[in-house]
Amino acid sequence: MKPLLYLALPLILLTVACETVIEVDTPSEPARLVVDGIIRVDTTADFLPIAIKVTETTNFFEEVQPVSDIENMVIILQVLENGVPTTSFSRALAELEQGSGIYEPDPTFDSDQRISVRTVLDNDILFTLVITHRGRRYAAQTKYVPAVQIENLTLGDKTLFNPDETEVVVRYRDMPEVDNYYIFDFGSGNYLATEDTFYKGQAFEFSYFFDEPLQAGSELEVRVFGADQSLFNYMNLLVQQAGDQNGPFGTPVATVRGNLFEVTDLDNQGTFDSTNTPLVFPLGYFAIVQEFSKTLLIPNAD
Amino acid sequence: MSYPRGLRVILPFLLFPIMLLGQQRYTLSGTISDAGSNETMIGVSILVPDLQTGAITNEYGFYSLTLPEGNYELIISALGFRDIRQTVNFNSNQRLDFGLESEAEQLEEVVVTEDVERLDIRQPQMSVTSLKAETIKNIPVVLGEADVIKSIILLPGVTNAGEASSGFNVRGGAADQNLILLDEATIFNSSHLFGFFSVFNPDAIKDVKLFKGGIPSRYGGRVSSVLEIFQKEGNSKSFQMNGGIGLVASRLLAEGPLVKDRAAFLIGGRGSYAHLFLPLFDIDNRAYFYDLNTKLNYRVNDRNNLYLSGYFGRDLFSLSDLFVNTYGNALVNFRWNHLFSDRLFSNLSLIYSDFYYGLELDFVGFEWNSGIQNFNLKYDLKHYLSDTFQVNFGMHNTYYVFNPGKISPNSPESGIVEEQLTRKFANENAIYVDLEHTISPKLSLEYGLRISQFNRLGQDAFYVYENGNPVDFNPFSLVYQEATPIDTLSTSRSTTLKKFLNPEPRISLSWTLNNQSSVKASFTRMAQYLHLLSNTSSPTPLDVWTPSGPYVKPQLADQFAMGYFRDLDSGTYSLESEVFYKEVQNRIDYIDGANLIANNAIEQVILNGQARAYGWELLFRKNTGRLTGWLAYTLAKSEQQTQGRQTLLSNGRTVQEPGINYGAWYSTPYDKRHDLALYGRFQVNDRLSLNANFIYQTGQPTNYPVGQFQFEGLVVPYYGLRNQQRLPNYHRMDLSATLQKKSKPGKRVNGEWVFSIYNLYNRYNAASINFRQNQDTGQNEAVRTSIFGIVPAATYNFKF
Repeated sequence: MKPLLYLALPLILLTVACETVIEVDTPSEPARLVVDGIIRVDTTADFLPIAIKVTETTNFFEEVQPVSDIENMVIILQVLENGVPTTSFSRALAELEQGSGIYEPDPTFDSDQRISVRTVLDNDILFTLVITHRGRRYAAQTKYVPAVQIENLTLGDKTLFNPDETEVVVRYRDMPEVDNYYIFDFGSGNYLATEDTFYKGQAFEFSYFFDEPLQAGSELEVRVFGADQSLFNYMNLLVQQAGDQNGPFGTPVATVRGNLFEVTDLDNQGTFDSTNTPLVFPLGYFAIVQEFSKTLLIPNAD
Repeated sequence: MSYPRGLRVILPFLLFPIMLLGQQRYTLSGTISDAGSNETMIGVSILVPDLQTGAITNEYGFYSLTLPEGNYELIISALGFRDIRQTVNFNSNQRLDFGLESEAEQLEEVVVTEDVERLDIRQPQMSVTSLKAETIKNIPVVLGEADVIKSIILLPGVTNAGEASSGFNVRGGAADQNLILLDEATIFNSSHLFGFFSVFNPDAIKDVKLFKGGIPSRYGGRVSSVLEIFQKEGNSKSFQMNGGIGLVASRLLAEGPLVKDRAAFLIGGRGSYAHLFLPLFDIDNRAYFYDLNTKLNYRVNDRNNLYLSGYFGRDLFSLSDLFVNTYGNALVNFRWNHLFSDRLFSNLSLIYSDFYYGLELDFVGFEWNSGIQNFNLKYDLKHYLSDTFQVNFGMHNTYYVFNPGKISPNSPESGIVEEQLTRKFANENAIYVDLEHTISPKLSLEYGLRISQFNRLGQDAFYVYENGNPVDFNPFSLVYQEATPIDTLSTSRSTTLKKFLNPEPRISLSWTLNNQSSVKASFTRMAQYLHLLSNTSSPTPLDVWTPSGPYVKPQLADQFAMGYFRDLDSGTYSLESEVFYKEVQNRIDYIDGANLIANNAIEQVILNGQARAYGWELLFRKNTGRLTGWLAYTLAKSEQQTQGRQTLLSNGRTVQEPGINYGAWYSTPYDKRHDLALYGRFQVNDRLSLNANFIYQTGQPTNYPVGQFQFEGLVVPYYGLRNQQRLPNYHRMDLSATLQKKSKPGKRVNGEWVFSIYNLYNRYNAASINFRQNQDTGQNEAVRTSIFGIVPAATYNFKF
C-alpha cells in the first residue's frame, strides 16, 4: 500500500516544477557482484525456469557488464519435515551462452540438473544458492512462495496525473488467513508491490496508471508473483530507489541489500555473522516464486 | 494525582510567592494599547531613565512597575509609534493605561529616541526575535502571499528544506521540534498545500515571536524552538474591514466593537482559488486551501478580560477524484485574564486543538482518516514582586488522543476491510517557575525550572516483544527487521504503560557592559514527548505523531548559547551575535525501507539515535529611518548519529550492530553551513515603499548513487552512506513595491498595490537531483528539479 500513498506527494511539485538534465560526477566504489535470481514458476510447466543472471555494479553512468567467470554455482535443496532437513541434494548451474552472465542448469552433467515443479510443490524445501567467484563464496536461502491468479484485467478510462495516462484495472482474490505479499509486473520495469494488510481474503481491485498511451493493437501482459515479507520489502525499496529518490518528500537512501550474503569467512563456529566485514556484501536476490499472468489486447482507438 | 517528591517541595513555593521586603514602594500598572484600535501591544517598554530600569508589556499588553516613592519620568516607546513621556508621582498604587499613536503618517520628521537604551539589551532573554505583522506583510514572497514561515526563514538560525517544503528548522533542529503556538494553542502542521504557504493569515496576526534558545520555563514540549503567534484581538473603537486580492488567494477580515471600548470581535477568512498550480492539465484536478480566524474579547472590568479564539483551516488536494487528500488544523481557545492585584497577573486557558488528515484513494478503494486531538489546560501567573524581581509560574496539562488512522472501503465494491489502527492516549503535565531577577544594574538573571511528566496510557492492542526489543538485527545481512510480537496486551485507558519525569532547568543571564551593549548566556534543557513519524526531508501532512512510551523514549535537548548584543547610534542600528551548541538525545531514526504509513507497530521500525548542532549567528538590523531591514548570517553544522546496539548472538558472541551509516555522525537533511539573508525596506515617500530580499545558502545534503545495478528489468541506482553530497548552493533575490493609493477626501476606502518579483534573476535553484533511466533513450541521467523560476505577482489590499 505504501508506494501508492507516497506516489502522490512529489507530484504536486512536479506540476509546477521544471526539470533539467544536468551533468554531475557521481562517486564510484569497487564493483560488487549482483545476482538477479527471481525464478518465476509457472506451475503448469514441468521444470523450474532457472536462469540466474550475474552482473557487477558500475558507476551510475557506465554500462552494466555481465559476469562470466563464476567458478561454481549450485542450488542445494534440503527437504524439510516439520522444519527439520531430512534429505538434501544439489543442482549445478553453468553459463550456457558464453558472455551472457546467465546461469542455467548444466546440461553437461550425466544426471538431469533441472528441478521439477512437482518436487517443489510436493515438498517443503529450503533452497540455498551458493556461488563461488574469484575465491569468494556467496550464498542465499529461500523457500517457494505461491501467488494468486489475476481474475480480471481491463482497460479503464481515468487518468491521475496527466491526460496521456492509461488506466489498467487489475482484479484478484487474496489468499485467506496468512499474510500475503504480491509483486505485480507491468513490464518495462513497472512494478507494484502490495501487501494484503487491509484486504485479507477479499476480492481486491486496483488501478495502475501507465504514463503513456499503450500501443493500439498490442498485447499488454501483466504478471503477478508471490513474495515473502523480505522480498516485498526488497522490491519496494528497489522501486523507490529507481524512481525519484531525493527532494523534500524523498525518504533516506538505503543500500538495498537482498538475501545474498558473503559467506567466505563464515565457519559456523567462531565467525557466525558479518558484523566484522560490514562493507563486504553482494547485491541481489534469490527467490523461487509462483507466477501468473494475464494479457489484455489494447484496442484500436476509434 | 500524586506528585513526585521533587514537585512537592516546589509546590508551596509556587503557590505562595515570597514577598520581598524593602523601603516604601508603589506599583503602577495598566495596559498599553494602540490608540487607534485599542489593540493591546506586546513588548512595549516603559522606561524609567532616572533609575535605569523599566518594564515591558506581556502577551496581553499588561505591565506592572514597582518603584520607591518619588517622582519619575516614564518613557513609553514602541517602534513605529510616538513615544509618550509622562511624569508619574509614585505615592500610591495606581493604574494607568496608555494609548500609543502610530507615527506612520509623519515620516518626514522621524523622531530618533535620544539616549534611551532599549530594555532588551539588559534583559537576560536571548536568542529571540520578534516580527510585527507589518514587517511580514512587507517581505517579498513568491506569488505575493505574505507568509509567517517564509519571513522567519530570513532570520539567522532558521532555515527550511527549500521551496515548496513544509515546516522550518531552527538551529539545526528538526521540523517537529518546533512548538508552534497560535494564541497559546499548539498547531501541529504549519503548512498549506504541502508547504507552499503557511497556515497563518497575516491579516489576523498581531505579533510573531520566535525563541531559538534561552527558552523560558513556561514553554515546553518541543526541544528546538518556540514560535509564538498572537492573533489580533479586534478593534474595539470602530468597525473596520480589510482584505486583499492576490494571485493565489483572497482575504477578508472584519473587526469592530461589540461594546465600544469593552468588547470587540474579529473574523477573518482566507481562501485560495481552486485549480491552483494545476491549470496545465485539462483533467479535473483541484488544490485549494482556506482558513478562518476568529476572536472575541470582552473587557469585563479593569481586573478581568475574556478572550475566545478560534482557528479552522483545511486543505484539499484532489486528482480526478481518484486521489483526494484533506487535512488541516482546528482550535478553540478560551482565556481568562485575571488580575489578583496590580502585581499579580494570571491567565487561564482552556484549549482544544486537533489536526486531521484524510486520504481517499479511489483507485484502490481505500479511505484513511487520522488525526491527533488534544485538550489543554494552562494556568500561568506572573507576579511583579518589585522592579528587580518577577516570578512567573504555572501549570500545564494536556491530554492527547492519537488516531494513527482508520482504514475503510470507499465504496461497497472495494475489497478493503475496515480497520481501526490502535489509538494511543497520553497525558502530559508540567509545572514551572521562572524568576526574572535583576541582581545589580549590570547583572540580570532569568532562571527557572520546569518539571514535566508524561504518562503513556493504556491502549487496545499493545505488542510485547522478546527481551522488550521490537527491532531485530540480522547478523548475516546486517539489516534491521521488524520483530514479531510474542504477546498482545489490551490495557484500559486508566492504566499507565510508561511514565516519564524530566526536570528541565533553564537559566539565562545578561551582563550589561554599558548602556548600549551586553553579553548574555543561557542554558536550556527541554523534553519532547511527541515524535513526528517522518522519514522524508521535509514533513508532509501525511506524517503521523506518536507519543513516547515503553519503546520510544522522549527527546531531551540541552542547549548552550552565548551572545553579544549592541545598540548602535542610539538604537538606530542593533547588532546581535550568538554562538550555540545543542545536543538532542533519543532522536528517532528508522530502519531502511521503514513503512511509517498506517503501521500499527511503529516501534518495529524505530531506532534510537542522537543529534547535535552548533553554530554562530549574526543579526545586524537597522531599526529606524527610511531604510530599515537586516542582514542575517548563520554558520552552522547539524548532525545526527544512530549507533548500533550491542547484540548477543546465539553463539554467545556480542557484536556491534552497524546502526545507520555504520554509527558515524552524518549531516541532517537540513544541515546548511552558510545561510545569509538580507532584507531591506526603503520608504520612498508616504505612498511608495520598496522591499528587497537576497538569500544565499549552502546547498542541502543529498545523495548521489555510488553505483548502479540491474534487477528484473529495473535500473537501480544504489547509495552508500547517507547525505554525503550537496545540492548546488541556493541563492535568489526578490523585490517588491508597495504603492498606496492617494487617499481622496471623502473616500473611505484605502487601497494599496503590492507588486513583487520572486527570483529576480530567474535562477534555477535545485530542489532535488534525481538519478534515473530515461524511459525513451534508455540512458541514465541526473535530473535537477527546480520549483520556481522568476515569478511576478500583484496583490491588491484594501481597508475601509
